[in-house]
Amino acid sequence: MFSLKSFLLASCATALMSSAAWAADPIKIGVIAEAQAVAGSSIAPAAQLAAEEINAKGGVDGRKIEIVVYDNHSSSAESVRAFQRAVSEDKVNAVIASYISEVVLALEPWAGRLKTLMITPGAASDVITQNIAKNYDQLKYTFHGYLTSTSLAGLVCDAAKDLLVEPYKMKTAVIMSEDAAWTTPLDAGYEKCLPEIGLKVVDHIRMSPDTTDFTPIFNKIEGLKPDVMITGISHVGTQPTVQWKSQQVPIPMFGISSQATNSTFWKDTNGAVEGVFYNAVSGPGVAVTPKTLPFVEAFQKKFGNFPSYAGYTSYDDVYMIADAIHRAGGTDPDKMVEAMEATDYVGTIGRIAFKPKGDPNPHALRTGKGYITGLMLQWQSGKQVNVWPKELAAGTITWPSFIKLKAASN
Amino acid sequence: MPSFVTSRLFWIGALTVIVALVLPTYVSGYVLGLLTVAYYTAVFAMSWDLLFGFAGEVNFGPTFLIGVGAYTAGILDAHFSPGLSIWLCIAAGALAAVVGGVVLALPALRVSGPYFGLTTLVAVLMLQNFIVVAAGLTGGEIGLAVPDVISIDAKTNYWIALGFMLVSGAILFGLSRSAIGLILQASGQDKIQAGALGFNVTKHKLAAFVVSAFFSGLAGALMVFYMGTASVSTFVDVGVGVQIIIAAVLGGRRTVIGAAIGAIFLIGMGELLRPLGELATLIVSVIALVVILFFPDGFLGIIRGGAKA
Amino acid sequence: MLFWQILIDGFAISALYALGATGFTLIFGVSGVLNLSHGAIMVGAAVAAWAAASEFGVGPYTGALIGILAGFILAFATYFIAVRPIQRSKAIAESEKEIFILTATLLWGIIIQEAIAYLFTNNAKTVLPIVEGVTTVFGVRTPRNEYFTAVICWVAIGLLWFLVNRTRRGKAVMAASMNPRGVTLLGIELSSIYLTVWAIYGLLAGVAGILLGMFLGVSSYSVGPLTASAFSIVVLGGLGSVSGSLIAAYVVGYLETGTAYLISPAYRTIPALLLLVVVMYLRPQGLFGRR
Repeated sequence: MFSLKSFLLASCATALMSSAAWAADPIKIGVIAEAQAVAGSSIAPAAQLAAEEINAKGGVDGRKIEIVVYDNHSSSAESVRAFQRAVSEDKVNAVIASYISEVVLALEPWAGRLKTLMITPGAASDVITQNIAKNYDQLKYTFHGYLTSTSLAGLVCDAAKDLLVEPYKMKTAVIMSEDAAWTTPLDAGYEKCLPEIGLKVVDHIRMSPDTTDFTPIFNKIEGLKPDVMITGISHVGTQPTVQWKSQQVPIPMFGISSQATNSTFWKDTNGAVEGVFYNAVSGPGVAVTPKTLPFVEAFQKKFGNFPSYAGYTSYDDVYMIADAIHRAGGTDPDKMVEAMEATDYVGTIGRIAFKPKGDPNPHALRTGKGYITGLMLQWQSGKQVNVWPKELAAGTITWPSFIKLKAASN
Repeated sequence: MPSFVTSRLFWIGALTVIVALVLPTYVSGYVLGLLTVAYYTAVFAMSWDLLFGFAGEVNFGPTFLIGVGAYTAGILDAHFSPGLSIWLCIAAGALAAVVGGVVLALPALRVSGPYFGLTTLVAVLMLQNFIVVAAGLTGGEIGLAVPDVISIDAKTNYWIALGFMLVSGAILFGLSRSAIGLILQASGQDKIQAGALGFNVTKHKLAAFVVSAFFSGLAGALMVFYMGTASVSTFVDVGVGVQIIIAAVLGGRRTVIGAAIGAIFLIGMGELLRPLGELATLIVSVIALVVILFFPDGFLGIIRGGAKA
Repeated sequence: MLFWQILIDGFAISALYALGATGFTLIFGVSGVLNLSHGAIMVGAAVAAWAAASEFGVGPYTGALIGILAGFILAFATYFIAVRPIQRSKAIAESEKEIFILTATLLWGIIIQEAIAYLFTNNAKTVLPIVEGVTTVFGVRTPRNEYFTAVICWVAIGLLWFLVNRTRRGKAVMAASMNPRGVTLLGIELSSIYLTVWAIYGLLAGVAGILLGMFLGVSSYSVGPLTASAFSIVVLGGLGSVSGSLIAAYVVGYLETGTAYLISPAYRTIPALLLLVVVMYLRPQGLFGRR
């Protein structure tokens, strides 16, 4: 709430300040985001912050960056309308769009039809980049600025191996995910990599994102007696977490839980999130790169709260677009695409580079050593503590009172 | 007096149509896009108003008919393109909606009042569940992307939508004022008397369902090929149905034309207030509530000057 | 063991449905209003309780009270803003009033929903439970809160029964639902009857809302489904029949729970919908409908 107010104030201030000294036309970047959702609410402010920083240093080749914001109310239809408006009326040169895969998939063909560069700071579905492989010339304008579901699955497995299988000798797992675009490839990834690290998948539960009563689901899972629940949830978060705690389900939750990345989640769940493990590319106090913590500090100072996960990537996206325009020597869409493909940028989440044409997932982020590795965090006593990878760990794992585990063997 | 009012209304109407026709030369592609969606929504609302006026009951299921039309057209195109022309898909969509309308009418016409409302609501919920569960065919929650669109030129899309709205409006309005239409209005408002006068009320109501279904489904199918996607939240969700009902009542119920005005107002206002972000829907709802409370005949009533008893 | 699980979980969720449906049917039975802002009032109460606890740090009891008060206020607001002006309006024909009230309550519900989303985001919120911890009965481990929910729902319903059958005012309300003119002939002001009914409704919806918030959690997205669910249950049971609503609530609650456990959580709502379709076709006035 306060972020919206300060954001509006900041926009006014920027508008006043900037009317003065800029000669050439501004570069306009449209931001289509879900302002009412916690994850989406950071996308536009973070972009604004990046634009201000770049403008303060002279802009891009003497041109200032202007951010134009559209609230899409979490709807694909409104997003399509907003995109059409952004390109034909507001004449933006690039668009940063959403954290919801369904929205990005609806916009992808329009980015192609209207020949406008588009990057998503938060959606995960592999289909986004698979579509580019199938129709490169039409769809090359889209870039996937976040980890694909398949890479996320791989990262969760890597973390599970180091944190659960080796020390606690865990043997079985149940996959629990919401039925959505991004979890189809995620679950496929889990089914493949979990056995590879020694966790047998005893069941795979996909639930409707509209579920409000998780009791039967948890009871079913408990009946199967797995050592861990590997999660894939984003649209739901508060309810399953609170019900997990109030039912005292004696099985830890480990994996992807988008809402758990929000710093307000402790309050939202009245503390029920204690002990939940979640994957992220960023976390409070974790200096993934030298740019991470200064960004968080600047964001907090300006907007009064921590950025959501999509804020980090949105901030990086503005810098990358600016850099691409600089290298392309202008805003010609095809040249911008070529320049984006050559991106090699150290952002707040790691070293960012995109997979090239010809790859099964063109324009997806490169992951692995030297690029984006991701983190695994756990909520402990009201704080988000990073527990993996070891080099960046700020603490060791703890268990909530209702999970009784044999002590770690190392 | 009546002829004066009719002619004033006529001139206002004619002027509006002329303005609408020449608009593309003066406004941006974005405004045209907005109006295109508004025109399709106007057809949804007019179809609903016809059924409401004739069936005499509030039905919560306009999105059942729209959804069947939209998805049939979308699924056919997604699976058979480029073999099947989009106009064939659209026709198939309209036809499917008519079939859907008949299927819905059978149980619905046996009940009245809230039960009628509930039956129509259940139809929408069942369609929604079906679409989500049969995701392989329909794209599920994600939505369906159709490979073809009618045109990417904003002006072409605008004129198609405008033309469609004007023609549908003329037909629907004409029907409501025709001899058959008046019989239906009467049977809608007082079945027993109409039945006593010898009219086969049920058969006529079924006809009303069919007409409403045809136009709803056709408009839905056309809109799919305008947007390039079909999703539950755009075509089937109960929330969309709610918007349609509000548009019709706001514009002036049982007038057909009023529904079109209401729909264009709702979508236009929503856009105008866009800079306010999250508050936009709230403010539009407040305005709509105020209009309903103080001007029960809706916008058309205001234009005509003064509420009618 | 599965049997006990379904029995207990089904009972709790059915009780919650029953409480919500009872309020809905009461309003319809007495004042003829299908209040489509029902879900919004329930969610409003729950969010008020959550906000009190998280912004002002009050304990669970105070939070619950604030939530119930919020339900009460919202119900009255609904009456005075969306219902009464239309009922009294001279500009609208009697036969038309129904659709106007329907549309007005619908709009009012949207206004509340959007206000909640604007002020608190559309994220789900849970209310601090008054009763924490778990108990194990017949080998089934259940949160104590679930038993608490079921108990409070039935206490509320019981109080309502007592009110309507044993107190003078309550009997007047019941009489008004059957014959409004008759009641005025007895010298009782209809308008005070309506106020009583909306007050009772506000309390019922408020309690149902905070219990839902404690048990499962709510968000601004819950508004529509909650109204649709209450509507379906009430029509299934028969409009205007409180006992019908209670029975229908249990039928639906158990159908959903059974489906979630025995078939799959993804298909939870489908059997109940199918039942609705069948009943609408075979017995359109509902199981116990009297109108």
